[in-house]
Amino acid sequence: MSATVIDYSKEISVVEGRPSAALLDGVITQPIDSFPQRNWLIGLAVTGTMLLIGGISLGWLLWKGVGVWGINQPVAWGFDVVNFVFWIGIGHAGTLISAILFLLRQKWRTGIARFAEAMTLFAVLCAVMFVLFHTGRPWIAAVWLLPYPNQHGVWVNFTSPLIWDVFAVSTYFAVSLVFWYIGIIPDFATLRDRAVTKVKKTIFTILSLGWRFSNRHWQHYERAYLIMAGFATPLVLSVHTIVSFDFAVSIIPGWHTTIFPPYFVAGAIFSGFAMVQNVLIVTRKAFHFEHLITLDTIEKMNKIMLLTGSMVGYAYMMEFFIAWYSGNAIERFVFINRAFGPYWWAYWIMFTCNVVSPQLFWSKKIRTSLLASFIIAIFINIGMWFERFVIVVTSLSRDFLPSSWGMFIPTMWDFGLLIGSFGLFFTLVLLFVKALPAISMAEIKAVVPGAQPLHYGDGGFHG
Amino acid sequence: MLNRCIMEMEGSMAKKLYSLTAIFTTPNEIIKAAKAVQEAGYSKYDVHTPYPLHGMDDAMELKETKLGFVTLAAGIMGATGMISFASWVASVDYPQVIGGKPYWSWPAFVPVTYEIAVLMAVLLTVAALIVFFFKFPNVSHPLHDTPYMKKVSADKFGVSIQAEDPKFNEKVVGDLLKNLGGEVSPVYYSEEFLDFKPQLFEPKFILLLAGIAVVSAGGGYATWNKLLYLPPFDWMMEQPKSKPQSHSEFYADGFAMRPPVEGSIARGFIPYPYKGKPDEAAKYLVNPLLPTKEVLALGKKKYLTFCSPCHGNFGSGDSRLQGQFPNPPTLHSDKVRIWSNGSIYHVITDGQNVMPSYQYQITREERWAVVHYIRTLERALNAKESDLQ
Amino acid sequence: MSDTHETVIYPKKELPAKYVQTGWALVAAGFILAAVSYIDDPHRAAYNNLIGFAFLASVAVGAVFYIALEYIAGAVWSTPFRRVSEFLAALLPFVVILSIPLFFQMHDLFHWTHDEAVASDKILQSKTPYLNVEFFVIRFVVMMAIWGLFYYLFRKNSLKQDMDKDQKHTRTNIKLAGAFLPIFAISISVFAIDWLMSLEPHWFSTMFGVYYFTGTIICALAVITYIVVVLSERGYFFQGIGKDHYYSFGALLYALTAFWAYIAFSQFMLIWYANLPEENFWFIARWKNGWEYVSVAMVLFHFWVPYFMLLSRPSKMDTGNLKRSSLLLIAVHFLDLYWLVVPTFHESPVFGYEEIAFPLLTIGLIIIVFAMQAKKYNLVPIGDPKLQRGMDFHL
Repeated sequence: MSATVIDYSKEISVVEGRPSAALLDGVITQPIDSFPQRNWLIGLAVTGTMLLIGGISLGWLLWKGVGVWGINQPVAWGFDVVNFVFWIGIGHAGTLISAILFLLRQKWRTGIARFAEAMTLFAVLCAVMFVLFHTGRPWIAAVWLLPYPNQHGVWVNFTSPLIWDVFAVSTYFAVSLVFWYIGIIPDFATLRDRAVTKVKKTIFTILSLGWRFSNRHWQHYERAYLIMAGFATPLVLSVHTIVSFDFAVSIIPGWHTTIFPPYFVAGAIFSGFAMVQNVLIVTRKAFHFEHLITLDTIEKMNKIMLLTGSMVGYAYMMEFFIAWYSGNAIERFVFINRAFGPYWWAYWIMFTCNVVSPQLFWSKKIRTSLLASFIIAIFINIGMWFERFVIVVTSLSRDFLPSSWGMFIPTMWDFGLLIGSFGLFFTLVLLFVKALPAISMAEIKAVVPGAQPLHYGDGGFHG
Repeated sequence: MLNRCIMEMEGSMAKKLYSLTAIFTTPNEIIKAAKAVQEAGYSKYDVHTPYPLHGMDDAMELKETKLGFVTLAAGIMGATGMISFASWVASVDYPQVIGGKPYWSWPAFVPVTYEIAVLMAVLLTVAALIVFFFKFPNVSHPLHDTPYMKKVSADKFGVSIQAEDPKFNEKVVGDLLKNLGGEVSPVYYSEEFLDFKPQLFEPKFILLLAGIAVVSAGGGYATWNKLLYLPPFDWMMEQPKSKPQSHSEFYADGFAMRPPVEGSIARGFIPYPYKGKPDEAAKYLVNPLLPTKEVLALGKKKYLTFCSPCHGNFGSGDSRLQGQFPNPPTLHSDKVRIWSNGSIYHVITDGQNVMPSYQYQITREERWAVVHYIRTLERALNAKESDLQ
Repeated sequence: MSDTHETVIYPKKELPAKYVQTGWALVAAGFILAAVSYIDDPHRAAYNNLIGFAFLASVAVGAVFYIALEYIAGAVWSTPFRRVSEFLAALLPFVVILSIPLFFQMHDLFHWTHDEAVASDKILQSKTPYLNVEFFVIRFVVMMAIWGLFYYLFRKNSLKQDMDKDQKHTRTNIKLAGAFLPIFAISISVFAIDWLMSLEPHWFSTMFGVYYFTGTIICALAVITYIVVVLSERGYFFQGIGKDHYYSFGALLYALTAFWAYIAFSQFMLIWYANLPEENFWFIARWKNGWEYVSVAMVLFHFWVPYFMLLSRPSKMDTGNLKRSSLLLIAVHFLDLYWLVVPTFHESPVFGYEEIAFPLLTIGLIIIVFAMQAKKYNLVPIGDPKLQRGMDFHL
């Protein structure tokens, strides 16, 4: 596909060849049915170790308190909030691929939607871990952050963006979980009907709720899917917008700027897509899904990264310009400080990775190269982590009053939890691809050429 | 759990037919078949496909789904509920001034209202979908576990016309499906399905409920009544701080309670500026009180309480201590009578010779009242002729 | 892929004469009212001119945006109507014409052109490297030149393709679209900052470019939708155009309405929350002395009403509803510009013949320019390789 000239009068096929539905079932369930391979086990050992490091760090944190981190005054938010925003951002890609690309009728999402949604759930779990444990007493915070009538007679503060976060992230997790689950029900039913052992059969019977592939059900199912996609889409925007409000409602220079909401959303999609790209390049190779997740899909992901990366670059430019335009000396200082102050190195890593690297995707050669896509995606993730670091730490370390300035130096426990979050995320991903179908069987069958009746054209747009 | 259906039982066992099914292999065939079955007037039939086919809803002449109304209602309910609740909390139940804004600040309620609206809309839509539209979970439908279902969940398309349909005739239906090109086979109810007599208190279900109750109650109790009182969760019961009257390792003398630092003074208190300086006190202090009846009464009371044991009831120095304490000189001597008020005040405050300081027993105001009283005593014992008028 | 259509036969029809007549009538009426208002109260005419100018720019450059968007996204459902956007983009020269009176009114419109005010205000002084007349003019000229260039190139390729049906024109336009979009993002922000945000030179908001961009694309899409629905009902497009195409327009308008509300609310709420005097005065001015009614009208008619009008699935496909929604969205873009511009000049909202002049003029211009383009060129890009797929498009 990459070397030939595109014929615009023909639709680009989502799936290569015309695999039969039975073949598709076989290919997709093969990782689930087969014994774990060596590579998978090695991967699990690595991620398991990372998870263990995280577990130890978490235990120490719970025992000793948040003083084991490098946070202090004025930098009261360090890796905890940076990682929270980072992981929530990663989660948004899954919903975007699953819901927004569905609404935009982009069939190429089919091969990647299922595990992208799973990645959303895992990423949100990682994010919730940070935001919960950065409270001084998380065992109380877990309960007191919810508005329930109590003997103190107090409620949560509905005007605080930190509470908006609680509502937003909880809703996002619940809706993503439900959306993912409803999507898997037909696959659970297929797995139930293919199950060989009684244990598997029982499990899948329960999980499929008795789905029978009846068209009378498909009708309601499709409407429900559309409705959920329709809600998940603004939810992606609203959740990361509310996360951005944590910063933007303040008066801190560098934080209080009205473009934060769409800037954060674009950044979230940007980093999330990079993470999905990394996972999908590995997955399609490992499980031989190359004909189901085509190079065209990878190229389109890169184009979206170019788009969202450019949006992030636009936001950088606008922030910088308006800071100058405002004439406010402190605003102007913030941006000088970011680039040339004590954390200058973080800023330039961010800039190179976020603004420069995605621009390489203007070249078709780079866009269609698997190696380049993989490497650039890693750089984008690094860049986006540093962006959150620059926003949170640099701004706090140098705010209004010079006598209050202070530095943040991360401790080993900060790093331990960061490593642990990656461990948790990738462990869950590895477990997921071994336990559940990584590609939606029902959806992929529907987009193969010849899947739909000729009345609507061969493989016409799927609603 | 109930078993699934049996397929094509040979032999003379009485079987109840559930439906006649037909398998097709291409999307076009099944669309054609669906249209034909619908046009033939059957209503209790269904089409089964591994994925939704375009145009099938029209072929089966299905009415538009009503699921959207559930969503709308749930979303509106969620939004109105949340904004009402947040408004009530902020303006009625516990109003606070936050950020200098009025109690009811609608812009701040928009995010939570929106999120709850979405949450309610999605959760209730899905709940309605599963429970009311699908009538799930239902794992014992006659079609479950049949070869028909296994084919249809993989790669074939099927239609199933139920025996319950008013127009059903096994031969007619069978011929219709065969003519359409399908592979026909019957599906029967299983014996267990037919024999199933649901009880109100199904033992396995009751056991499941009991199990859930025990686990959740036990787990809840263990967590919130036991686990959350273990360190480090123990509600700050053990705090490494000094308590009053406790021992302290930190200080050499072992006392946790420390005296105030040298030179500390109490709040609102101005230290006596003439400590140890009787001459300056004599020079600068002026009695701020006037010798009114109340002041004199106060002075008399305090004098009699504190001063009279040593100085006598009338200031003559005739103490009633009977020599337990040295007698002071009389207050009516010329020496004392020419003292300024400030001097007397200073002696009360700072003490003199054997007399200790009375600053802790008599307040400043009271001391000035006593000074007035002493002056009155002095005048009384040395009255002039003019005083009688 | 349906192979029952070999060549695309496009029956070219001329637009009815009454459209053109209506257009000329509106232009004449608008022009007369505008001329009278310039004589009567040039200050008021100036800012109404500004509103009309910004509105026409929205439609013209928004149309170019949609051309580029279709190419870059590879969308097929909009291909049969792309020519509508190309015709609307021909309004760009008229945008320049409408700007000319404004350059004579710079002193009336822009506080930062008042040298005495700048000399006594340190903040304004710090902005003079950007806010000075020379640079302002240069920015505008460059912007219009770039927009004009892209419009010209897009159209040239598209029209050539009508003749030779060569796919290389599509490839070229896709590359052009890729270049255009980032340039557009920056230039539309500069446009908004220069002409609208600098009216109040002490105020600033990083979101402002995004806000104006959103309003622009809603307005442009509403105009496109209205034209497509009206002409489609009268058979100017192919028979295949059906409810699925309409649904796409409806869904996009619905989504953009929600998006506008999100952007507008974010900008407002952040400034309200922090309550900094250097920023909040702009919104406070729009909540006093009668402007609060206009602000409420904005929330109602720019968000709530069109949102619920386009909420349900059938409503997005209904041609009558689409026409009504489009007209509403065009009207509220005028309201938006009015709300952005006039509070700088008037303590209370004012409405008179002066405010009607430029809307009439610009709507008339849109109709006339469109009709003239439709006379000369095909209404459908008959050479486009995606045309067949666009016509076959089904949900």
